[in-house]
Amino acid sequence: MQSTLKGPSPDLAGWTDERNGAMVRVVVREMKSAAPLGTAAPGEAVQVALGACVEELFGVGTKLARASLLGGGASMEAWAVDAETPRGPVALLVRRAAGGRIYRDALSLAQEFRVLEAAWEAGVRVPRPYRHFPDVAGREAFAMERLPGETVGRRIVQRSELEAARAALPGQMAEQLARIHGLDAARLDFLPGARDEEPLRRSLDVLEAQLDEVGEPHPAIELALLRLRRDLPRGGPRRVCHGDFRLGNLMVCAGGLTGVLDWEFAHVGDPREDLAWPMVRAWRFGREQLRLGGIAQPGVFLERYGQLTGLRVAPEELRVFELLGNLRWAIGALTQARRHLSSEERSVELAVLGRLAAEVEHELLSLLHEGGA
Amino acid sequence: MPDRPSASELADAVREFLEAEVLPSVQDARLRFRLLVAANALSIAKRDLEMGDDLLREEIALLRPLGEAPPPGTPREQALALSAALARRIRRGEVPSGTLEALRRIAELKLRVASPRYLERG
Repeated sequence: MQSTLKGPSPDLAGWTDERNGAMVRVVVREMKSAAPLGTAAPGEAVQVALGACVEELFGVGTKLARASLLGGGASMEAWAVDAETPRGPVALLVRRAAGGRIYRDALSLAQEFRVLEAAWEAGVRVPRPYRHFPDVAGREAFAMERLPGETVGRRIVQRSELEAARAALPGQMAEQLARIHGLDAARLDFLPGARDEEPLRRSLDVLEAQLDEVGEPHPAIELALLRLRRDLPRGGPRRVCHGDFRLGNLMVCAGGLTGVLDWEFAHVGDPREDLAWPMVRAWRFGREQLRLGGIAQPGVFLERYGQLTGLRVAPEELRVFELLGNLRWAIGALTQARRHLSSEERSVELAVLGRLAAEVEHELLSLLHEGGA
Repeated sequence: MPDRPSASELADAVREFLEAEVLPSVQDARLRFRLLVAANALSIAKRDLEMGDDLLREEIALLRPLGEAPPPGTPREQALALSAALARRIRRGEVPSGTLEALRRIAELKLRVASPRYLERG
């Protein structure tokens, strides 16, 4: 959707000690839930076009029962669409381009849809993909199943009714990542990194270019970049990576994980990037001591992943990838603030991220400190 | 200008208005969230108005031993120049001794304005 390393900015609102992982995409998160917010007045042309879409999908006699715009930003809209089909009601989520510039490191909607299809066919738990539509009232869109459940990280780490889910999640997250990393990269040759021998080096170059675009000196981030250029391993495994696998992008029900969402940052990279990303402090939602997403220590997660893939990863080995994750998020937060400052997308949420990047800088420096000079 | 309310008192007044009068009347979850973000932005602005100049001077003092003397200018311009020079050196692979410690101290200064609770949580 609209963010690059979107992700909640921890505590964007800063009104509670519990970090709410409110990244910019709270909207989008909310709209992924079963009970959407539905505030904006939906455009009539889009409504008509969505009516045609559901008829195309489910046949003559299908009626559009409801289409509400759940939220979105300059680059992406999300619509909750309810259809009455000859075989019963269907709940859809339609993601539609919004005209603004899309983050350059994100996939197009057409590409994201192809990744979602590949994941679905390989048995990854994802919302069922229905179809990509090149023209929905003038812009591309795709339709997928609208899953019920919770995506807001803060709630997932806190709510008592999700206690069993928290216990199940580490193993389930490992199982889904194992499947994702088993996807056939040759079939998804458009993914960033697909043609790079050393995708991690490419990532560092892209991040450095993004930092330069921010146009503001950040020596702490430079220091992390320098360390990563030295310490990130070479010649590691190359796999299809989700690119944003963490609480906030996972649909969770009482029994645990029901859907892996938000595939726009899929790429070919080192699977350890995906393993470390849910451990980045910003995605622990106030439970800093539980390194895996504020729900557990990483032991079970890594063990299960190792059993399934044969790739045994020690927690210490992930430190350098956790540093990479924090670097990504630090630059992501600054980039989001630039969207506001450049008037590409005026938003108080994006603006505040520019200052909250200081939290991520602090974490980068703590990790550098722990890692020794 | 010594007139009151000062800039930081005005920021407070707006934040209190948002929290006490606007927030209770807003039902929409999305809008409530944005209101809280806006109130937080005003808190950051207030802390910056009150402490920003002192913290800039501290930042300059921490950066100064790591590079050349900054060109004349306001504290903000000098901090920016020192920070940019250090960023360029690190990009070239040169890390002056004491850099990590100085940057950790500076990150704490930034957090005193941006997110004081983050420091408390440790």
